[in-house]
Amino acid sequence: MILFFILLGLVLLTQIAEFYIPPIDWMYNAHVYIVPVIVFYGAVALPFPLMLALALFAGILLDALTVQVIGAKVEISLGSSMLLYAVLAGIMHGLRPLFIRGRWEAHCILSGICTSAIILAQYLMITFRRGSPFFSREVWWQIGGPGLIAMLIAPLVFWILNWLARLTGYPYLPERSRFG
Amino acid sequence: MSRTSFIALLIFGAILGYFLSFGTETTRKFQAGVYQWLAPFFTTGSGLQKQITSVRTGLKSLEDLERENASLRVDNRQLRATNEALRDVEREVNRLRHALNYRARSAFKLVPAEIVTRDSSTWWHTVTINRGKEDHIESDMPVVTDEGLVGKTTTVSKTISVVLLVTDENCKVAASVEGTREQGIVSGERIAGGLAPMLDLNFLSKQANLQPGQKAYTSGVGGVFPSGLLIGAVKTFRLRELDGQAKLAPAVDLSKLEDVFIVTGRK
Repeated sequence: MILFFILLGLVLLTQIAEFYIPPIDWMYNAHVYIVPVIVFYGAVALPFPLMLALALFAGILLDALTVQVIGAKVEISLGSSMLLYAVLAGIMHGLRPLFIRGRWEAHCILSGICTSAIILAQYLMITFRRGSPFFSREVWWQIGGPGLIAMLIAPLVFWILNWLARLTGYPYLPERSRFG
Repeated sequence: MSRTSFIALLIFGAILGYFLSFGTETTRKFQAGVYQWLAPFFTTGSGLQKQITSVRTGLKSLEDLERENASLRVDNRQLRATNEALRDVEREVNRLRHALNYRARSAFKLVPAEIVTRDSSTWWHTVTINRGKEDHIESDMPVVTDEGLVGKTTTVSKTISVVLLVTDENCKVAASVEGTREQGIVSGERIAGGLAPMLDLNFLSKQANLQPGQKAYTSGVGGVFPSGLLIGAVKTFRLRELDGQAKLAPAVDLSKLEDVFIVTGRK
């Protein structure tokens, strides 16, 4: 349970920190997203109900801080990121046994793919509202770039969070003997 | 699925449904509440960022210094050449700069604000400023600098507001082009791939034939933006099937924005 609250705190702090991380210009201004990596770590480390709670918190925070209300329309409904996070975290949660066995590779790669999936879903939603869909090289970089970055930072983030989990005596470690 | 997981899923569904049912006004209020709750974090973060930036800019590598030195030598030569011709103008500019500031000479009532955060999302171009309802700021108020139009306010909380930048596709501004009778709608690009985002001036007549350098100003149509605010300068003009479209370079360098003014009315 302590780990859950640590992850909630980290999601909040990282979401704020993301405002101060400039986009990477040589990647067509791709943004750095760290919060999804934390949420996806939570998806594999936490039990299902807590995973949903984490997805709920991260999703609502993302929507509240980024989605724009312009005039009389909301481009992406408040709550849509919650749903995205929950579905993708649910997929990650399905691979929990592998994670508990100490195999992180698939989850690190999936963290990147899922991060891009969130941005792609947002793009599809705003494109649906604004019309005239197009997929240029810039668009693909803006979608794929954050995923690549997430994939690269995921091992470090997972390692730090795993260290925190051990520090707090998080009881998922005994399960290791069941799978390992 | 265990009973606990099933109940958790039901609760999650209920909360999700609750948020999805939010209308525009409720969403705006909720966002304002979250921004207000996080305002101390943003303010602290902004201060920290400034300190870090000032330290980082002080630590330049030798290569950077050499490059800067070479660039400064060129600048110096150019400045020497133009110095003579500009002496009279310089005197007048200096006098005016000391006598007036933009706020005083503007025809609008302006509230100064500082940029607290820049956009962290991929698909919206926004900044957050340290002014809100306490300073009589409301939604849809124009935001400017002495160089030109920056954008308009969207979500406004007690002490913090979100500004939708003119480079966002959703920020549509009625514009007119200097020296012509051409009018159109300026909006940002959905994707700003380059370092300097451009603006689209759409719905021009096919006979517009705009030239690079011509300036576009707000026309005042629509009610949000008063007329006469500089938006940008024409870079290119092209004909489309039904209309003409110009690409504009924004008048304000939005990547280096630090201080802005919110237009609260006319004087």
